[in-house]
Amino acid sequence: MTFLAPAFLLGLLAIGVPIWLHRLSSTNPNRRLFSSAMFLEPGEPRRVLAKKLQYLLLLALRIGVLVLLALAFAGPALQGAVQNLVAETARLHVVVMDLSASMGHGERWQRAEAAAGDVVGDLGAGDAAQLVAAGRIVEVIEEPTLDRDAVRRGVATLDPGPFALDYGQLMRSVDSLARGAELPVTVHVVTDAQQSALPPRFADLAPRTPLELMVHDVSAPDENNLSVDGLAWSPVSGDFVAGVRSYADEAAERTVTLRLNGALAGERLVSVGPGETAQVTFEGLELAAGGNRVTAELTPGDDLAVDDTRYLVVKRPEPRPVLMVSADGRGGASPFFASALGTLAAQDYRIDPVTAAGLAERTLEDYVFVVVTDAGVLADEDAALLRDYVEAGGALFMALSRRSAGLAAAPVTGHEFEPFSDFGRQDGEFLVVGTLDRSHPALGRMDDVRRARFYRHVAVEPQGTDRVLMRLDEGGPLLVEHALGAGRVLLYGSSLDREWNDLPVQPVFVPMIAQLAAYLAGDLQVSFEARLGAALSARAMGFAGAQVFAPDGGMALGIAGAGAGDDVLVDQIGFYEVVGAGRTELVAVNVDPTESDPAAMAEDELARWRELGPGAEQGDADLSGMMEVPPTELWPWILALLAALVLAESWIGNGHLRVRRGIAA
Amino acid sequence: MAAVTATAPGAAYDLLKPEVLASLSNLELVARAAVHGFLNGLHRSPLFGFSQEFAEYRAYAEGDDPRFVDWNVYARTERTYIKRYLGETNTRLVILLDASASMGYGSGSITKLQYAKFLAATLAYLASKQHDAVGLIVFDEQVREHRPPSSRVGKLSGVLHAIDRAEPGVGTDLRVPFETFRQFERGRGLVVVISDFYCVPEAMIKGVQPLAYQGQDVVLFQLLDPQELQPQMRESALLEDMETGEAMEVSPIFMRSRYRERIGEHIEALADCAAGAGIDHELVNISESLEGALRNYLLFRQRRLR
Repeated sequence: MTFLAPAFLLGLLAIGVPIWLHRLSSTNPNRRLFSSAMFLEPGEPRRVLAKKLQYLLLLALRIGVLVLLALAFAGPALQGAVQNLVAETARLHVVVMDLSASMGHGERWQRAEAAAGDVVGDLGAGDAAQLVAAGRIVEVIEEPTLDRDAVRRGVATLDPGPFALDYGQLMRSVDSLARGAELPVTVHVVTDAQQSALPPRFADLAPRTPLELMVHDVSAPDENNLSVDGLAWSPVSGDFVAGVRSYADEAAERTVTLRLNGALAGERLVSVGPGETAQVTFEGLELAAGGNRVTAELTPGDDLAVDDTRYLVVKRPEPRPVLMVSADGRGGASPFFASALGTLAAQDYRIDPVTAAGLAERTLEDYVFVVVTDAGVLADEDAALLRDYVEAGGALFMALSRRSAGLAAAPVTGHEFEPFSDFGRQDGEFLVVGTLDRSHPALGRMDDVRRARFYRHVAVEPQGTDRVLMRLDEGGPLLVEHALGAGRVLLYGSSLDREWNDLPVQPVFVPMIAQLAAYLAGDLQVSFEARLGAALSARAMGFAGAQVFAPDGGMALGIAGAGAGDDVLVDQIGFYEVVGAGRTELVAVNVDPTESDPAAMAEDELARWRELGPGAEQGDADLSGMMEVPPTELWPWILALLAALVLAESWIGNGHLRVRRGIAA
Repeated sequence: MAAVTATAPGAAYDLLKPEVLASLSNLELVARAAVHGFLNGLHRSPLFGFSQEFAEYRAYAEGDDPRFVDWNVYARTERTYIKRYLGETNTRLVILLDASASMGYGSGSITKLQYAKFLAATLAYLASKQHDAVGLIVFDEQVREHRPPSSRVGKLSGVLHAIDRAEPGVGTDLRVPFETFRQFERGRGLVVVISDFYCVPEAMIKGVQPLAYQGQDVVLFQLLDPQELQPQMRESALLEDMETGEAMEVSPIFMRSRYRERIGEHIEALADCAAGAGIDHELVNISESLEGALRNYLLFRQRRLR
């Protein structure tokens, strides 16, 4: 027996009260002095005995009432005898429910529920069942139990989701579950046996743990599907192109409806042959500023609704100013920089050159980022202005060039310098980039930067949270990212012209500066589309701190926690909103196209899969205590008994008090 | 036998009520109040006069006190006669007061022992008024106080103090006071035994009979509480014997029926035994006034002195 709330057993101490009261009462129930017992009879022993028994019964009833009351609150439950329930032929039946998107096709899920019900109904008397849901992850819904109803209730709580399932990964998870079981295991995979869910290698379906594998195929023949498997926008022409894929046996005709920010933007009729893909184009659509929500939807829908709509985010390029601070006010190294920034077609940066003296006249918040071609040109008040700008969320690219060599520390950030390194060009000595942080979004494909030669550089001393993006081969930092308030600073330890290095004439310079600029402007991201089931990083989108809202309008849950800035789990289809630092970015999430193919595995493939299970014999394992037998809660019985005891106590107590009320006993 | 009648109850008889007497702190005061209350309520009778009332003349005999010679008669007849008064019929009164534990029982305002003390003090005072010598034996299982009879002035207060000191003791053994009496009291007189008589009547009478054979006139005042005579119980109770400590659970039914029969039989047996031995027996309910007991005492005294 176990107790759900054993702390209430402390209430048993209350039985001391009636015991104490009855003790007092029995010591002197009605004791009197009398002159002589000469004429008294020790009398009517049977009556006295009956009275005493009645009195003790009353005490017992009162104690019983208190004990039952404490027990009822403590929630006792009978665990049952495991050894008796687990027969020698008992098995653990693991029912794995496929929750992938394709299970939502037609009546597959209803057939899956029925199949699971059949599995549970066919279990042997001593067999245990475990319910597992295979969606984004493989999750145990019901631990091994003998309670069939609990498993059925667990199945009823499940529904297919938007995720894709890979049978290879599923079998790895099943392996780990079967390893922990002490009973021979039979795994029932209730699935649509989708062909597209097979792993690249068929051998990956083989369980590594001895178990019996039963695949319950709930697919039906002649199941068709049409999906919108692609939606794209051409920045050159401004056209939208939607692709419609047919998984049907015959040609189908559908209407593709395009919506732009929720408004109907166009409809096109499309005919698709069996197994073919057709494209429809929507021309001349006017995009709104910032991110645009675009959806392409098939009408009428089919049996699998989840892939009938495709989501796309398109961002219209906006001309944005970049402030370049240089010694001469003409930009100095601006020819190199301007050409670099112009390579990002989707971005439209307008460079605004200024001298350090003119910095105070500009409103820095108007610029997406600021470039300082040589930190040495900055006066203290200029550095303070830039510092305030960065702390408020701005971005700064600051090169440490010739004029910086005489400084003790970097302006704005306060980085101290390592000893100034100067290599004579005459001697032909130079340094090259030794290490490159490829994980940084701006430096992913910049390996060619190693070709550049650095004759002079200023090596800054990285601070605690700094990220060194590039180091020269002698170990000195060349490019350091420094977080300052809500913004960030990229410190470049050499010149942006050819005076200290030949990087500006290297082919990698233009894309590198363009990527770094895009990174500083927050425009750098691989795509505005996220993969279902993956993590969405607001930081990677240029947000120092942001909140992410799911398509259903709720706050998306962070992976590490619910704090702002954490990566969030993408588990819904539609548009995610990333909001922070005065701007909003949209991310589109679509269903995995592999889920659109309703084709099931061939019978011989299924048979081969089933045969992959090496089987399992009854082991010699000690079966006792390995499984939680469904507890039988006793509180209803206790309450019934309690009510009976209360009635009995009232009846006997009433009889006991009759004498005191003056009624002849 | 002359009849004794009483006037209608009035203020004088109120003084005989036990609760009134209990409010008086001094036992002598109790005795005075009771006696005066009692006497004031009586019709005057020559047989019962307490004043120096003339009864008869008799010839002077040797040994008579010359002070009592009626010299007027001698002047007329030249013979010496002694003038006798009714109140001068002197006797000895010895009170045997039971102070056992059972006498400490009382369901009302006073206990049996208190009542017994009032009665004993009143009798002692009454006897003293009649110039009787008064003695006292206070006993329980043994004699706790013994004052031989004396009519000397001042002895009464000693007897009253002895009565006043009596407190409930332990058990009862009636043979002890009778034995003591026989040892120390040789002359004839009145013996008043005040007790609840929780004993076997036959055995008790065997102890008293020798006194009767000595010529003593014995009267037994049996004091019982109303709850001992007519117990009123509503529920079962554990009754504890005050002398032995024995406890018994008894029911109201038993106390209403069987017990009453038993106590009645006991009283009857005691009265029969006493009558058989020529001893007077008087049952006294301590919830009633002393008047009845005093009246019976005077009747008894009158009867014995004739």
